[in-house]
Amino acid sequence: MTWLVWRQHRIQFYLGAALLAAFAVVIAITGVQVASQWHSALVACAASHSCSRLSDTGLFLGNHAVGFLVIMTLGAPALVGLFWGAPLMAAELETGTTQFAWAQSVTRKRWLAFKAGWMLLAAAVWGGAISALVTWWSGPDNALELDAFKPGRFDIMGIVPVGYSLFAMALGIAAGALLRRTLPAMAVTLGGFIAARALITLLLRPHYVSAVTVFYKVTGGFTPPGSYWQIASGVLGPNGQAINQNTTGNAINGIPANYLPASCNAPSRGAFTPPPSCLQALSHFRAFLTYQPADRYWTFQGIETGIFLGLAAVLIAVTAVVLLRRDA
Amino acid sequence: MISIREVPDRAPPEPAAVDTSGLTKCYGKVRALTDCTVTVPEGRITALIGPNGAGKTTLLRLLAGLARPAAGQVTVNGSTPRQDPAFLASIGYLAQEIPLYRRLSAEDHIRVGAHLNPRWDAESVRERLTALKIPLDRAVGKLSGGQRAQVGLALSLAKRPQLLLLDEPVAALDPLARRNFLGVLADGVAAGGLTVVLSSHLVADLERVCDHLIMLASSRVQLCGDIDDLLAEHQLLVGPRKDTTAIERSHQVVQITRTPRQTTLLVRRNSSGIPVVDPAFEASDVSLEELVLAYMGQDAAPALAHLTTVGEEQ
Repeated sequence: MTWLVWRQHRIQFYLGAALLAAFAVVIAITGVQVASQWHSALVACAASHSCSRLSDTGLFLGNHAVGFLVIMTLGAPALVGLFWGAPLMAAELETGTTQFAWAQSVTRKRWLAFKAGWMLLAAAVWGGAISALVTWWSGPDNALELDAFKPGRFDIMGIVPVGYSLFAMALGIAAGALLRRTLPAMAVTLGGFIAARALITLLLRPHYVSAVTVFYKVTGGFTPPGSYWQIASGVLGPNGQAINQNTTGNAINGIPANYLPASCNAPSRGAFTPPPSCLQALSHFRAFLTYQPADRYWTFQGIETGIFLGLAAVLIAVTAVVLLRRDA
Repeated sequence: MISIREVPDRAPPEPAAVDTSGLTKCYGKVRALTDCTVTVPEGRITALIGPNGAGKTTLLRLLAGLARPAAGQVTVNGSTPRQDPAFLASIGYLAQEIPLYRRLSAEDHIRVGAHLNPRWDAESVRERLTALKIPLDRAVGKLSGGQRAQVGLALSLAKRPQLLLLDEPVAALDPLARRNFLGVLADGVAAGGLTVVLSSHLVADLERVCDHLIMLASSRVQLCGDIDDLLAEHQLLVGPRKDTTAIERSHQVVQITRTPRQTTLLVRRNSSGIPVVDPAFEASDVSLEELVLAYMGQDAAPALAHLTTVGEEQ
């Protein structure tokens, strides 16, 4: 079976390997530049004792095209689902070659196990390799911007791309087995992948572990350490009511002027030191920050990967039931 | 039981490669096969004949285990078709559309077969295709329809199955290739250990190599039995245009053709095997083609629909 899978899909494999190699070359070359840029920036800031403010200096690592390419790896898992997964069953059912394969002395279960098994392995390698390259390339950027936990960055690094790739592949395989036609299966795979990723990112991921909420004085400030993920922030009024910060008028420490005494009204230009009555009023407000601390990063990576692996397993089980129960 | 098996002077039953009873298959609301009870004797070539849409492909797919029956039983080589390497190894099946991997060459297919089958005669395929001047290294999608059919047929033989199921195998072949291939099948069967069921609507080809017949029409079995026995059971009566009620009462009339001056009847002997004796009619033997066309025509003529009872239980 392995020989058949290889013979049938080796062109896809070569193509995938070539894409991966080209990506690796681009990432390796620019990654070295990024790393040296970062290194010289660190040396420079150490000399002037300004490393804590490095992210405010407008330092930009890498170049826009490669940065964009890196962000685009968000879509890399979908590619394997679309172009490898969806045709895997659909193309055979569509052209009837299952009738050739299933007329040999190999059970359908074995046939499916080998075909799906090798393809899932390829998907995992694809997702893993891309993620490893992106993670390495983004190391300095993560240290500078501290945004590795934020949606969009979280999704292209660590182990989650492996889970996404396996899920996309399984989704393509299942869609192909159910629909028996390649193009509809590809459409369903794309739609299903985007929907699953969006829903899980928006609705589930913020709640894998209860978020931490910290209250602090509006005149002070609070920044959690490291690459935390901010879920929500805001200001509560004297009675604990939420303050609508979306106003166009003046605001002091994030509080719109209409919540504050006139003494807080700043002149339109020039420095302003609020009088004590204004500070007194401000002390009744509390700011809050709801976030996922940086040290939960790998817990979240593990949970998210587990969810997508579970979904992939369900889809493969559905494929098996469909293929074993239905007629060829 | 099918009526034909009840003929008294029949030889003792041979071992059966295929035995089905009450086999029924539906696709949605369409009945592809209804109450199909047939036997295929071992070591022979059985012709599966019927008009388009009669259920030939459905029956072959049920035998190959590629489809599951809605009702009824199938026994193939002594067991129900199942997903088991030993059972699958004993069955050869070639679908009508010759489904091969279009981008793979014949040589690739030979190697696929070698990887997937316990018995595999790769050399026989190479020899056969080389003799037919079919390039082994060209993608089968680029071969002509006839060449592709030859590749499919050679591969299905290379598996060395006990039962070979071929769906319209010769449809794409030219007359010479057709005769040649049927000869190969006949040799294979004569060498022993092979049973063949092949479907077709080309009676002339089948007549040459087949000795057993299953005829389907409108999803039902119309005839099943040894071709010689079936021919002996029917007679063609040609006579003047006259009332045939008496004959119809005592015998099963398969087909009546009336012209202004004469009446032609195709009659099946009754259960006691007594032929029609009527001095007004001249009796003659039936050819396989006449027999097949009569049963197919029966299906097309609603006025005679009441006669379509052959395949049912007595």
